[in-house]
Amino acid sequence: MAGYSVEERAAPHSLEYRLFFKDGQGQYISPFHDIPIYADGAENVFNMVVEVPRWTNAKMEIATKDPLNPIKQDVKKGKLRYVANVFPHKGYIWNYGAIPQTWEDPGHKDENTGCCGDNDPIDVCEIGSKVCSRGEVIKVKVLGTLALIDEGETDWKIIAINIEDPEADNYNDINDVRRMKPGYLEATVDWFRRYKVPDGKPENQFAFNGEFKGKDFAVNVIKSTHEHWKALIAKKTDGGEINWHHHVKLPTQSHLKKGAVGFRGSTACPRVQLPLLWELGSEQQLAQNQLTSGSITRKTKAERWMVKQLCSSHQEATTCSNRKIASLSARRPCL
Amino acid sequence: MRAPLGLLRLLAARGWGRPPRRCLGAMARYGTEQRGRPHSPDYRLYFKNPEGKYISPFHDIPLFAGSKEDKEIPAKRSKTTGSEVLFNMIVEVPRWTNAKMEIATEEPLNPIKQDIKKGKLRYVANIFPHKGYIWNYGALPQTWEDPSHTDEITGCCGDNDPVDVCEIGSKIRSSGEIVQVKVLGVLALIDEGETDWKIIAISVDDPEAQKIHDIDDVRKHKPGYLEATVDWFRSYKVPDGKPENQFAFNGEFKDKDFAVEIIKSTHEYWKALLHKKADGGTIKCTNVLVGGSPFCCGEEDARSIVQSAPVPVNGDSVSQEDDAWHFFPK
Repeated sequence: MAGYSVEERAAPHSLEYRLFFKDGQGQYISPFHDIPIYADGAENVFNMVVEVPRWTNAKMEIATKDPLNPIKQDVKKGKLRYVANVFPHKGYIWNYGAIPQTWEDPGHKDENTGCCGDNDPIDVCEIGSKVCSRGEVIKVKVLGTLALIDEGETDWKIIAINIEDPEADNYNDINDVRRMKPGYLEATVDWFRRYKVPDGKPENQFAFNGEFKGKDFAVNVIKSTHEHWKALIAKKTDGGEINWHHHVKLPTQSHLKKGAVGFRGSTACPRVQLPLLWELGSEQQLAQNQLTSGSITRKTKAERWMVKQLCSSHQEATTCSNRKIASLSARRPCL
Repeated sequence: MRAPLGLLRLLAARGWGRPPRRCLGAMARYGTEQRGRPHSPDYRLYFKNPEGKYISPFHDIPLFAGSKEDKEIPAKRSKTTGSEVLFNMIVEVPRWTNAKMEIATEEPLNPIKQDIKKGKLRYVANIFPHKGYIWNYGALPQTWEDPSHTDEITGCCGDNDPVDVCEIGSKIRSSGEIVQVKVLGVLALIDEGETDWKIIAISVDDPEAQKIHDIDDVRKHKPGYLEATVDWFRSYKVPDGKPENQFAFNGEFKDKDFAVEIIKSTHEYWKALLHKKADGGTIKCTNVLVGGSPFCCGEEDARSIVQSAPVPVNGDSVSQEDDAWHFFPK
């Protein structure tokens, strides 16, 4: 699974900040839908997308409602969200993120928690010693799970360890965590119980009295959220505002409306090396119109503009645009 | 400390009355100058006073904030009067960071630098559940724990450094910042067999400063913080292969009055040091403002000390920090 990379847009800790993902060929992909759930290897080894590095506070998350689902910072009441430091903890106390190709279905009531899913991929707390980077895609061994009920919604927290951790071989189930990192699981429950209290919310609840379940149970939970995701993608389930757009297409008008469900990627259509842009201004809208008009000259100009947005420097735009334009002109994007 | 006369005249000329004392707080007066590259062995942070003169943070910053330099600690004041003794604190390590920054007592003008052990830049370990230092950590100027003096309480000799302070306010301070603090209590650490008092204090500007006057108030408003402090000091060197540290008084905190007495006596040791009445060994007593000290030097000498340090370079070196969280058996 080597080869995933990220591309930043706008300044970190701004409302506009986005972190896009690319695969090994440099194609834009969705970290929610296009990264396989299973890493190669053992049955309990999964891919994890790191959203929040340990000890940081910015609430970064996969934007499930945005095309290509980049990572962005959560906004609450118009302000960028940072989790509080709940003594003795500093920020998040693990590398925190999500398992791709999973979904906690809000239309499904979990039999363990009695609550509906929180409409997000399943969350992971990675307990290894390395502080990972935002957007890193790592392989993790699942060790157990905590059944959080966050503001009344089912919100499983998978406990896992990076397979590259120097001690990874010694961790095979939840009891190993208890034994080798005493206090860490208790701190985890404490953190999830209280982390929203400084924001005026009540303490959270748990199923199973806040006890951790073991690896086998956790793997089953992940598998069922994987089934929910498959149903979502197959349009068997109502995804509401979830954007399952992947394998980039040039945007249509409907994509530009906020909250609209994006159309499905079809593997029959060729892929284009451009990110979808939403919240477009008038200049972008013009480019968009030119693209859909079918005229080659104007399409090239519009594509050149799009590539410029893609590249981080003018110089890069100048040198790469000719190549990209050539490849773009050769294709007929599906609209 | 009174504002420079020139500033007062300027303000008067512009029709401003004398600003309240706190507005002319320490931060408005001192500056710092970086030399070398951060997180490298040649990094140094030199200090300057408001007139731009290079000074030693160890010797030239007054211990007592808001009063004349050579004034004795005032007689005990009643809590109800609201007036409390304030001290200047030099911040060395911001809360939640790991780089062991300290005043270089053995270099002239005593800049802040990063400690080096066994040839490597020193970072304190992360002791679960803590991340780095759990307070803003630093020192009180014009104090010295005399190594030739055996402390009658701890039974150990001083650690040859200014007295250490743990500032418990909510704001994360910067290395080199001078903060006015009120003292709340003290912990009697015995660090690797040396006396190492840890003053507990809070910035006067902290939003909760009005509610916190003594060590019991810390217990009340920040439950668990004092226990975490003992825990931290007990274990913080264990990942480096050292044994757990010990404490006098069974690790209990003493109150504000006791702490002020400790500060007073280490201030006396410092005075003796600066006037050559005590042997400082390799301590550099070079200073610019201590009247009557045989170690006083001129502005030009101070400037050439700073200018002989490596040129300032922006940007950190690649971090040598260890992210690991160290767990101990329960």
